[in-house]
Amino acid sequence: MDPRIEIINGLTASLQERLQGFRPELGIVLGSGLGRLADSIENPITVPYRELPGFPVSTATGHKGNFIAGRLGGKNVIAMQGRIHYYEGYGMDKVVLPIRVMIGAGIRTLIVSNAAGGINYNLHIGDLMLIRDHINLLPNPLIGPNFDSYGPRFPDMTRPYDPALMKLALQLAQEEGIALQQGVYVGGTGPSYETPAEYKFFRTIGGDAVGMSTIPEVIVARHAGIPVLGISVITNEAHDDYAEDYQNDGEDVVVAADAAAGKMTRLITRLIEHM
Amino acid sequence: MTQLETIHLAADYLCKQLHGQCPEVGIVLGSGLGRLADHIQDAKVFPYKDIPGFSASTAIGHKGNLIVGKLGGKTVAALQGRFHYYEGYGMDKVVFPIRVLKLLGMRWLFVSNAAGGTHPDFKVGDIMIIRDHINLLPNPLIGPNLEEFGPRFPDMTRPYDPELIRRAEAIAEQEGIPLQKGVYLSCTGPCYETPAEYGYFRHIGADAVGMSTTSEVIVARHSDIPVFGVSVITDVAPTGDEEDYVTDGEAIVQAADACAEKMTRLFTRMIAGL
Repeated sequence: MDPRIEIINGLTASLQERLQGFRPELGIVLGSGLGRLADSIENPITVPYRELPGFPVSTATGHKGNFIAGRLGGKNVIAMQGRIHYYEGYGMDKVVLPIRVMIGAGIRTLIVSNAAGGINYNLHIGDLMLIRDHINLLPNPLIGPNFDSYGPRFPDMTRPYDPALMKLALQLAQEEGIALQQGVYVGGTGPSYETPAEYKFFRTIGGDAVGMSTIPEVIVARHAGIPVLGISVITNEAHDDYAEDYQNDGEDVVVAADAAAGKMTRLITRLIEHM
Repeated sequence: MTQLETIHLAADYLCKQLHGQCPEVGIVLGSGLGRLADHIQDAKVFPYKDIPGFSASTAIGHKGNLIVGKLGGKTVAALQGRFHYYEGYGMDKVVFPIRVLKLLGMRWLFVSNAAGGTHPDFKVGDIMIIRDHINLLPNPLIGPNLEEFGPRFPDMTRPYDPELIRRAEAIAEQEGIPLQKGVYLSCTGPCYETPAEYGYFRHIGADAVGMSTTSEVIVARHSDIPVFGVSVITDVAPTGDEEDYVTDGEAIVQAADACAEKMTRLFTRMIAGL
């Protein structure tokens, strides 16, 4: 067997052992500062990544490193509290490993969230943006011999984010009185924040928000035919002219994301109830 | 063994097998265009696995043979199956066959590929002359320069030979083969582009998008070899309105196959006229 698949299967078995018969149907990736959604999960089983032998460990600011499985919105969910980023130095195989393990554990839908910089002038700090499409400027996680058991060599990406789930999210946001923007997420490697010229580049090519994650996870899920819903929390804003003392700051990003955590939790919980 | 030594080893092996009848023209046969190989006369077929240093190609619709023989009166070497970056090969492996052909004495390189049309006027089955490219793959010349092949900083002002393009247009007109002309953009794949990515590529000047070719062209141009390139448009970018649109590998192979006859005529006449 492909040694890469043996690793995934081994970790899936370790996770399933820790879940003691609990079968997740939905996976959630909690981005920067959004880890608190995990507090709403009922009867949680917490599995720290470090307790799964060979599992990559998240080192990013604001990210813990746990799988939390339990009930949310009446469904069996498993949440990743802390994701693995390419900028941490992990290869793409490691970045997407948790997604493949969750797929192995049985998830049939994936919800991803992240903190992103607004590059569309209409996006402001604290806004929630439904990701309707993406532009991938990270290495593609499917480079290498194809995992035929997961999906095809050349997966279609016409609908990276599921149209029916997007429609549902917009409808529920309206019912809840939560303003939900829509846009295109650009994923670059980081870890430096964008220069003003890079912001302009991303805006020119059609990006609305920019971040350093998410797309590899989405590609791997779509490869396996799993529908995805994605939401960005806008944690910094693009400006034409920056104030002389303006700085992009990781701590500010976490604070802004934390402030949006309440509405994010509400929206995702309602969404899961209706799925 | 160094990369350079491996290239020499493969070239020496082929030179010996060919008894000095070395190819002047290299042809890279892209997805579904392998049938051009059937027209090569007195063909000697070298499976890649028998050539030292060659890797095996894993792409849909790609075989793995080097075919040497006569086409249009010239000795040609056709690569039936290329090495793609998305297969997990390093760039040194992707361009390895081109380097070997250069050592065998290649004087012209013809490349073809299957590509997604981003130009709004392009239709499935169109043949596009590549007049320029945008390389979004890693550059194959990264690393210590192979001085024996070319300079550290090769010029890319004319990646595709203007004279060969003119001749192709003249032949196509005589033969009644409609041709488009445009800019080919390469990215890694292997997933197809999202609608937003198609929009991005169109915005920066791409007419067609694929996952190959530019690496081979860069390496040929490094050695100052004139290149002629053609894309077969095997799918077109969705406008975002089609509810049932999918990009499908099998459909692409079929679309490329449907162009094989026109491509064969064009390439054969061009090679005959060199």
